[in-house]
Parts: sequence; C-alpha cells; structure tokens
Amino acid sequence: MKSDKNKFPDKNGFFGDYGGKFVPETLMYALEELESTYKNLKDNPEFKKQFYKDLSEFVGRPSPLYFAERLTNHYGTGSIWLKREDLNHTGAHKINNTIGQILLAKQMGKKRIIAETGAGQHGVATATVAARLGLECHIYMGSEDVQRQSLNVYRIKLLGAEVHAVDSGSATLKDALNEALRDWVTNVDDTYYIIGSVTGPHPYPMIVRDFNSVVGEELITQSQELFNSMPDAIVACVGGGSNAMGAFYPFIDIKETRLIGVEAGGEGVETGEHAAPLNDGMPGVLHGALSYLMQDDSGQVKATKSVSAGLDYPGVGPEHSWLKDSGRAEYVAVSDDEALKAFHEVSEFEGIIPALETAHAFAYLDTLMKEFDKNANVIVNVSGRGDKDINTVAEIDGIKF
Amino acid sequence: MNRLTKRLSDLKKDNDKALVAYLVAGDPDIDTTVELMKLFVASGVDIIEIGVPFTDPIAEGPIIQKAHDRALKNNISLESIYKMVGEFRKHDDETPLVLMGYLNTFIFHKKLIEVNQDNAIDSILVVDIPGELKLEDYGIKNQNINTISLISPTTKKDRVESIAKNSTGFVYYVTLRGVTGASNLDVNEINANIEDIKKHALVPTLAGFGIKSSEDAKLLSEYADGVIIGSSIVQMIEENSNSKEFDRIGKYITEIKQAIS
Repeated sequence: MKSDKNKFPDKNGFFGDYGGKFVPETLMYALEELESTYKNLKDNPEFKKQFYKDLSEFVGRPSPLYFAERLTNHYGTGSIWLKREDLNHTGAHKINNTIGQILLAKQMGKKRIIAETGAGQHGVATATVAARLGLECHIYMGSEDVQRQSLNVYRIKLLGAEVHAVDSGSATLKDALNEALRDWVTNVDDTYYIIGSVTGPHPYPMIVRDFNSVVGEELITQSQELFNSMPDAIVACVGGGSNAMGAFYPFIDIKETRLIGVEAGGEGVETGEHAAPLNDGMPGVLHGALSYLMQDDSGQVKATKSVSAGLDYPGVGPEHSWLKDSGRAEYVAVSDDEALKAFHEVSEFEGIIPALETAHAFAYLDTLMKEFDKNANVIVNVSGRGDKDINTVAEIDGIKF
Repeated sequence: MNRLTKRLSDLKKDNDKALVAYLVAGDPDIDTTVELMKLFVASGVDIIEIGVPFTDPIAEGPIIQKAHDRALKNNISLESIYKMVGEFRKHDDETPLVLMGYLNTFIFHKKLIEVNQDNAIDSILVVDIPGELKLEDYGIKNQNINTISLISPTTKKDRVESIAKNSTGFVYYVTLRGVTGASNLDVNEINANIEDIKKHALVPTLAGFGIKSSEDAKLLSEYADGVIIGSSIVQMIEENSNSKEFDRIGKYITEIKQAIS
C-alpha cells in the first residue's frame, strides 16, 4: 500500500493544495537556510542522539499513557487513555518542538531567539531552551493574552527572556505572530525564529510536526504494550494544530485509528464567534501559508473568540487542511461552555487539571464515547496542564483571590 | 501601451528619475484618497502606489500598519478601491497606478483584477509571494497588468537573476532588512546590489523602504532609476487628517522630486 505519510510536504512546501511559502522576500533566504540545515541534520545520528537525550533527561520523556479509570466508568463504553504531555517539563507538549529547534539554531550559529506565544506555553518552552544555551530571547504576546495568561508571562521573565506585548489588531496570537515576523525581517542575519505550531511558511509546518511526532511514535509503542492493538481513536485539540499533528502524524497510515481534531467553538460555531477555521472557514493565506482561514466577505482575516488563548487563532496548520480534505482526519468543534464543563469534570474525576485548550478535546468525549462499545480504546492527548488557566476559570466562576 | 511602461521609458529618455509615492486607500477616507492622489501628481509624483489594506500586513512598520487599520475601519475593500480609482481616472488617464498588497486580498477578489475595469490599474505588487512568481501563478490572469517583484539585500545571487527577469513593471529593490519605514540604510550594499540587478533586469530598478529625506532620495537615485516614498507620507497624512490641509505633503514631494532630478 502506498504511504500517505511520507508524501508531503512536496518540494515547494505544499501538503496537497495547502502550505507554501508566502513571506516578504527578505525572509526567503532565511527559510532556505533553515530548510537545508534541517535536511542535513534530521537523519544525522549525532543530532538524533542529542534530541532524544534532551527529551529524556531534560523533558522527562517518554510521557506516560495513563488509563483514566473513573472517566472510563463515567461514560461506560470504551477505555479512555490519557497521553500525559502535561507531565513534560514546562507543562505542555510545546517543549518537544523547542528542544529540536534550539538545536537547529545552535547549528546555524544564531545568537538571538524570538517566538510568538498565545497561551504562553510556547513562550515558556522557548525561554526555557534559550536559557539553557544562554541565548538572548524575545517573546511576542498579544496584550490581551498578557492579561489572561499573566502567570506564564512571569515565568517567561523569570527565565531571562523579554516579553513584548503586542497591541496591534486583535492583540492576540495572530498579532503576536505578525510582530515576530516583523522582528525576523529586521534581524534576519543573527536571529532564529522558533515558530510554536505547525503553521507559518515552509519548512516550519514540517519541522514542528517532525519534532512533535515523538508523541505519536510513543503512542504506537505504548498502545501495543498496554492494550495490544492500535487505538480506535485519538482525540486532540486544534488551534494551530501542533499537539494534534504530533499525535496524528505517525498514525496517518494506520487506518484503523480515527484521528479527531477538536477546534474552539467559542460561543458556538453557528454564531460565527469562534476560532474554528476547519469547521467554518475557507482557504486563504495568512502568516506564510495557504490553509483554512476565518475571513470575512472581503478577504480580511476575522477576529476570533475562544476562552482558550492557545486556540484563539483564525488559521490552522496546512497539513490539517489536507487531512480534512482527504478525509483522513475529522475535525469538530466544542463551545467555551462545553470546554469549561470538561475542565471541571476531568479535574474532579481524574485529579488532573487540564489546560483549557486540552479541555476542548475532553469535551468531545461526550459525543464520541456514544459511538464506541466496551472493547474500544480511545486516547486523549493531554496537551498541557491547567495551572496557567486558574485565573481565567476562577474569574468565570466568579471567584476572587 | 501600459501607462507604467510608458512613464518609465519617458523618464529614461529625459534622463530623469522616477518618484513613486505611496498611500493607503481609504486613509483617512476614500474621497480624501482621490484628492491626495491628485495632489501627488500636481506636486511632481511620477507613479502612485496604492496600498490595499489588510488585517495582517506583515511587511509593514507601525506607521503603515496603523493606516491599514484606519482604512479597514472605513470598510475599504478592493471593490471600493476600484470605484475610487475609476473616480481618479476621470481626471487623470496618464499617471501609472500600482496596487501594493497581500496575496489573500487579491485571490479573494480575483475577478475584479481579471476585469480591471477600464484598465485603470497598471501594475500589482504582491508583498508576500516569492519574487519568481506572479499573480498568474495563483490563477489570476490579466495581460494588461504587469508585475513588480521585490529583491532584498538577503536575496541570493542565483535568485536575483530570475526575479529580475520576472519583473515586467519595475524591479523593486528593498533597501534594508526590515519593515517599511525603518532606518538602517547601508549605501555601499545598496549600490552593489542594484548594479547586480541591473545586469539582469529588463525593466528599471527602483529603491524603496526607509527612504525619508530628500538627501536619502538624492543619494539612492544615483544608483537606482527612481525611489519609492511611503511611511513619511503616510505619517503626514495621519497628522493632517483632521484639517485635511495637505500642503505640507505637496511641498515635501516637490522637494524630493527636485532632489532626484
């Protein structure tokens, strides 16, 4: 059987119709330099050894695949398993990618690191690896997100990085990305831009996917060990889509496993107030890639709405757009209210406070578990822990500290 | 003949340099944009570059970003820009008009560009596509609209040739590493790179990004076939948008045109 997994991206950086390199000319050379560095290094045994050593000793991988007994009993159908990315150092899957990209930056001799962040997890993960190598680090963050993720802002500062609050546009993740791209255009000679999701111009969607695929690779081994078969479904939340892509990618050719991405439905997809481009968007170009995009009737990018800063983004990684069109993955959305309900339920049932992003994946179990019988095995990718969201949730619940 | 091609060849015959002035359509409002375009021409501008507002203009510095935001508050779309350009063309059928913007807007309004009502627009510059490509590569075809490609200080030598040859309007040399309106011009690098571009280009090479004073313009026009002024004009438009008295801009443009002639 022909593999779909290794088909994309093509030499121009496309996944089917999606992807590409849509950036100002000044960045073209930097992208080529990055692509050739990555191509030369990715199968280099020394590089791989270093990457997996750091993942093991610094991040604490492999992360467990944990049987969620009370949640399983609650639904009363298939077994629910949790991929514990929340147990990684810094508290989310984001560290996997930054560990890999900082090695590329080092190899390329870059002295200055920049990144964008929404929920702050990628900012923390980037500041962490930059601190470890003693590199100057600047994090761009929408000023609205600086407010709602203040705990992570302080963590980033503690790690020695500078946080730049971005006021332009909607002052969220998309605007942080704009500003990081502008910094990169200006300081391209000595600066490495660590993009935090499977978004942006080629080769980023490929690089971020590959580094994060350690999640899906571990899942193949762990599924075999723990229930002696491949899972019936993997459920993951999708903003830009890095945690989902990392979990899905190694399973693309394992057709018995359903791949389900859960987008942020905000006030409800039908209201238009959401962040669910795969459910309610159309193809367009943003931040260097052609992909599903939330846009208005004159081609302008629409403001998004989600209780979760990490999912509050109008675009999505181009490989997800391809997986949607090809039918290999399914994309659904849950509302803010459903995600908040799941946030509380998972905390109480399992003793795990999930990130609000992750809570979206859990919320979809209400629908999904009805489709399975007792023999099924369903994996939820617990992309991050919820400590960072305590203030947001407390405020919604009317609690003041 | 395309107005842009004609204007550039006329300037060359006269041994003169081109002055390109930029504004954002709909900033501060669409009627004022038409008035500003007329003022540009009266003050000595050879070519007008019209910024098409976009929510996420990643190549722009803060001054032009804010102008995009102001225009979007007025609901400016490519449709309203075509109406505005039609209005301008009633008064002026000679000044070349270039649209500068981001790919998403052009793809979205593909039909408008293919029709190009009354051939009002002469050229399109898409900021966020590789220089070797043109709108035709994204399925938008119009033979009367020519292409302006960007070459930057970081463009590798092997690509300079193919990008230069891809340009049918003019080659736009980005004079610095940065966004529009920055200020770190490196004259020696600019000189060497423009010389290199000219070896391959079939059309004139103009310089833009970071040119603010008539001194900058004079210096760069020694190497380039013309200069493009954006952020400093957009800033003056912002500062005078309440009174709508733009004499200052006219004076500024005339000074620059004199400096490069």
